[in-house]
This record gives sequence, structure tokens and C-alpha cells, in this order.
Amino acid sequence: MGLIDQAVDALENEVNNLKLNVQDTVEAMDYEYTGSLYDTVLTTKLGKVVGWAQKNALWPATFGLACCAIEMMAMANSRWDAARFGAEVFRASPRQADLMIVSGRVSQKMAPILKQIYDQMPEPKWVISMGACASCGGIFNNYSIVQGVDRVVPVDVYVPGCPPGPEALLYGVIKLQEKIMMEAGTDKARKRVA
Amino acid sequence: MTSEEIVEKVKEDLADLIQNTDLPQGDAVIFVAPDSLESVAKFLKNDADLKFDYLSDVRGVDYLLEEREPRFEAVYQLYSIDNQHSIRLRVGIEEDNPSVPTVSNLWKGALYPEQELFDMFGINVEGHPTMERLIMPKDWEGFPLRKDYPLTTETVAFSHNRDFKSELVKSKPPTR
Amino acid sequence: MSVTEQGLLERDKDTMTLNMGPQHPSTHGVFRVILEMDGEVVKTAEPEIGYLHTGIEKTSENKRYVHVIPMTDRLDYLNPPGNNLAFCLSTEKLLGVEIPDRANALRVIMCELARIASHLVWLGTHALDIGAMTVFLYCWREREMILDLNEEISGVRMMTSYIRVGGVAKDATRSWLDGILDFIQYFPAKVDEYERLLTNNPIWLDRTEGIGAFTREEAINWSLSGPALRASGVNWDIRKSQPYSGYENYNFEVPVQNNGDIFDRYRVRIEEMRQSRSIIQQVLADLPGGPYKDPDNKVSLPARETLHTSMEALIHHFKLVSEGISVPKGETYVPIEGARGEVGFYIVSDGTNVPSRVKLRAPSFMAIPGMCKMMEGCYIADVVGIIGSIDIVMGEVDR
Repeated sequence: MGLIDQAVDALENEVNNLKLNVQDTVEAMDYEYTGSLYDTVLTTKLGKVVGWAQKNALWPATFGLACCAIEMMAMANSRWDAARFGAEVFRASPRQADLMIVSGRVSQKMAPILKQIYDQMPEPKWVISMGACASCGGIFNNYSIVQGVDRVVPVDVYVPGCPPGPEALLYGVIKLQEKIMMEAGTDKARKRVA
Repeated sequence: MTSEEIVEKVKEDLADLIQNTDLPQGDAVIFVAPDSLESVAKFLKNDADLKFDYLSDVRGVDYLLEEREPRFEAVYQLYSIDNQHSIRLRVGIEEDNPSVPTVSNLWKGALYPEQELFDMFGINVEGHPTMERLIMPKDWEGFPLRKDYPLTTETVAFSHNRDFKSELVKSKPPTR
Repeated sequence: MSVTEQGLLERDKDTMTLNMGPQHPSTHGVFRVILEMDGEVVKTAEPEIGYLHTGIEKTSENKRYVHVIPMTDRLDYLNPPGNNLAFCLSTEKLLGVEIPDRANALRVIMCELARIASHLVWLGTHALDIGAMTVFLYCWREREMILDLNEEISGVRMMTSYIRVGGVAKDATRSWLDGILDFIQYFPAKVDEYERLLTNNPIWLDRTEGIGAFTREEAINWSLSGPALRASGVNWDIRKSQPYSGYENYNFEVPVQNNGDIFDRYRVRIEEMRQSRSIIQQVLADLPGGPYKDPDNKVSLPARETLHTSMEALIHHFKLVSEGISVPKGETYVPIEGARGEVGFYIVSDGTNVPSRVKLRAPSFMAIPGMCKMMEGCYIADVVGIIGSIDIVMGEVDR
């Protein structure tokens, strides 16, 4: 009896390992693994709808730090109207925003505050690192500038430039919208609302 | 008054309180020791002909690399609004326990730049109400604008230097 | 004293501590002010700066003079040509170079255009803080025209780095000058439009008249400069008292008001926009010909066409690009009238091609203690108006 139990356990282990291997492989290929076709189609489609709604109403939090903030204001103005892409209002309070555009150089003194504002945003949230200084420290490689804001918060889109023109920032927002749509309905989107 | 006239008048009236005078490129410059700064400043502000009532700036300079004594210098730029002339005071400050008296009793505009002198150079300004960090974080150690303070402790990540680049390429993990 | 030492965190006291910033839409950058409030009235305002400290001054001690110029662009980022000009004037004073007339005229055009652009940002954001959102959209409409002109002449919208040691970077083109002519013909109607919206508006007057007033003596003692100083009755403009770049040749008035409150600073800046436009018109009416940078190629790069034919030009080009200019030993300071007030660079040179000390005299930095003195006794809503009226830019405060 004991031997048969042991054999059954061993076989179950083998089957479980195989299942896990398949799951890993399938996930590595970025496919949805839920186990049932009905499950896959419905949640993915619903996820896509949710992603569509999120990308078309990205409300940025005002995090204008330096020169890039002026170009961010220019993007919000009438010539390069960001409102037609959904960024209708720039929310002053991070509690009401879902996009943080870090526009400008982040100094050592400002980094904890950047993290605090990011933590105060409700999920799902995205971060655009605008400009060279936010992306990599820019032209300032010294004791006081954080060499890239991705040392403090996770960044989704980097927009290069010094400062990037409003059209470049708008392209960055559009790229972020494409990213949201690509991730919609998949585990990646689900992980954002952990 | 022209720069020459200002320098002459100051030399006359403040004879032993000033160490030296200079007229670089037409500006009036006088050299003062820290102990005489208060009396010189008071004279410059209250004298009827000079009337320097506007303080433009207070700057700190570190002359470590030029190896001159005294190591630090505080430079004061003064204007007279009514007489439309200007003067520059250069105060040499020793390296050990650097300190200089405040002029914020005479010109309130000196409050911030003198606090920055402390923050960036470690020069203690006697009589200043807030000798605290101004621009650097409150718990920062070291005085950044001194010449022996490093610019950065991080090496550049990307370089056009071919040798450097090959090191980076070797250590990158393989992509899919 | 720090916040804890002052007892601002105690519970049993009469006043409430309100922290404003550093992230706040109305503080024009990362500026933090800790307000002690008695109800809605501010008892004291303690500022805290340093959230944008970039270490530009220390970085400049490791870069050649031409490499410092793009860094100066990013100090007062609303008036980049002004910073460039201040740095170049100090360097040129140490070098002893003569700047040709055409270069001076082009410098004046760029600086006045930048002054108008900076005042447009000021007006847009100040009005937005106080509640007038339309003015924000209108001001940027005109600012886009100026930024297009910047892009045409230098390739960059904001940080032009157009003004270089010895002159300017590129010669003016016919289409650029035509563009400026169109702008200055279009602009006066727009300033009248802003005034129609704000100057006699009872809401604007209620929010700005009599608030944040400084007397003449206070303004001088607290080292205010620029429009804030002139609104307090002090007739002090560096373009008139210590003229540079040929400003003595142009006919313009310096607007001065007497009450020193927010409304007067608004009046002064609106009038300055008109005067800047008039200066540009005078420059364009009589733009001198000749070289646009120092023809002796010791300081400025030679024209590209000459590189094909002249050996000296090639050698000068090589030396200037690889080594840079060597500035004689000394120290100097040349102030200019920037959009916010007196801007100047105190440069100490040790004879090499790298400056030994570069210190910016920032008008916003000097204005902050005075600004916080103004806030005492005001309502919390006026704090926002006062910060807007002094027009601080944190890039130059923290450097």
C-alpha cells in the first residue's frame, strides 16, 4: 500500500512539474494561461475594454519641476492640445491622478518627495519620465542630481529632449496609450492593480 | 562718482581699515579684513556722498587651487540707488574656523546669501539668525563648493571611449 | 531654526502649521513654504528652498567657457538669452573683447523677445493661480510665436544658447527678421486684450490691490530688483543706470509705480512688455550691418566658408574647439536687467580655459526673504498671489 501511495505521489509531482513548466513556457511567450477557453476570451475582452477606458482618460498629476514643466504646460495649451488625447485636467492632488509626468531634474532633496507623491497615487498608475534629466540625469552628472528618475520610481515611457518639445511629449503620451492597450487584459495589467 | 573717486574717498576716510584697493576693468574694489568689515560696511552705507543702500550679492570663493592665503573670500557687491555707482568689497577669510561678521543688520537682503556661504563653503557668519543648511538637504555632510569636495562619485555609464565601451559590452547578459 | 526646534509640531498652541509645497501647482516650481496660520491669516511664512539644486556652479568649474553657456540656459529657464548674455558679458569684460554693433543689436533683439516671452509665462501662470484661466491660454498663443522665432534662428525652442562669447552664434536671416516684424505688429493688440480682461476687472482688483505691499525703503533694503523694485517707486533699471550691449541708443521708458502691491507689479510688467516691443521695433528699423561675432578669431569660431581657404581660420577653429578660450586672470561682475530683475555672473578666472568660480546673482533668490516678509498678515489665498507677483523661478534660486 505504502509503495503505491509513494508511486502515486511521485507521478502527481511529475505531472504538476510538467504543468508548471508548460505554464512558465506559455507565460514567457506572453500568452494568457487561465486553463479554459471561455475564461480566456471573456477576461481578455473585458480587460481590453478596461484598458481602452484607462488610456483615453489619463489624468496627469502636476509634477513640474524645472524647464520641462514649461513645455508640459505648452502641451496642455491650445496649440498642442493634450485634452483631445484624454489628458483633460492636470490634477493637483496625486490622489486623483493616474499619470505622473516627471518633468525636470530631480535633486537629492526632491527624490524622497517624488517617491512620496508616487506612493500617494492610487493604482493603476503610470510614469512618464520627461526630458533628459529625468531619464538619465541629463547634462548634470554631479553630487546633487539623481541620475535618472527610474532609480526612485518605475518608469513606463522615457521622452528624450532638453526640453522635449510638446509634440515629443505628446508622442510619449500616445506611446503610453499604446502600451496600455498592449498590456490590457493580460497579467501585466493585472499586476498593476496588485 | 566715478570708480577712481570712490576708491580715493574710501582710502582717505577709512585709511587703516582697508588693506588694499584695486580698479580692475573700471570697477571699484576694496580689500577688507573680516574684523573691519562691520565698520567699513556701516561707513559705506551711511556716508552722505557714497550712500550704498542696496546690497546686490554676497559670494564666496575658494582659492585652494591657486594656493593663496587666505583661502576663502567673501565678496560683497553694493550699489547706491540715488548716486548710481557701485563698489565691490573683498574680504579674505582664513582656512581654520572660517568666519565673517554679518551685514544683515544693515542690509536685510544679505540674509540668504550669507546663509548660502555657510551651506556651500562652511564659512560661519557671526550674528546671522539662521546658520543652517539652505540649499542642500538638512542632513548633508560636507560643503559642496569647496575645491576639495568631489563633483561626483559616480562614473559615466556611457562613453565614446572605445576601451571603456568594450568592458560594458562584455558584461551585458545575453538577450532573447 | 528647523521646524521641530521652533515648536511648530507642538499640539497646544494657537496657530496652525500649514505646509505648502514643494509639489503644488501654484508655487511656480519646487518651492516650499511653511505657514503659521491664525485661522486664515498668515502669521509667519518660513521658506524652504533647495529642491531643485543642480550643482551648476560646481559643474561649471569643470567645463570650458563655451560648455558653461548651455548650462546657464537652464538656470532661469524662462529667460535663457538673458543668462547667456550675462555670462558672455562677464567673460568678455575679462577678455577685453569689443563686440561688433550687429552682434549687440541681435543680442538686444533676443533678450527683449525673451523678456516678452517670460512676462507672458508670468502673466499666464499668475492669472491662472488667481483664477483667470483664459489668460493662460491666450498668453501661450503669443509665446508660441516667439518660440517659433527662437527655433528658426537657433534650432531650439527654449534653451537657445544663441548668445556666445564674442557675439552671437548665427547671423540673422531675412525670414527671421520678417517673422519678428510680423510679431511686433500683431502683439500690441494682444497686450490690450490682456488688459481688457484684467486691469479694470473688479475680481482682479479685489485680489491684487493693496496686498503684499512693500515701501520704497523696504524694497531697497530687502534687495528686491526688477519689476518688484520698480513697483515700489524705485526708478532702477540696469539698462538705464549701467547700460550694456547698446541700450543707450534706444528710446524707452522705465515703468515705475508707487504702491508696491501685486497690482502695481502687474502694471509694471504689462508696460514692460509694451516697451520691449518698442525697443525691438527700434532695433529692426536700424539694424547695423557687419560681422555678427568678433572678426578676430581668437574668441569666436571663424565662418565655415573660410575654413576651406584660410589656414589661420582652420588653426583657430581647431584651437577653439579643442581647447577653448583662455581667459586672463581676474574677477569681474557685469549685471544685466533680466526679466525678473538684476542678473549677473561673478566670474573668477585663474588664467586657464576653465573658470575657477561662476556665481549667479539670481533675482528670485534675493527676493525670497522679502517675499516671505510680505506674506505676514495676508490670507492664505494671497500667498499664492504674492508668489506669482514676485515671479520666482526655482531654477535660478537653487542653481
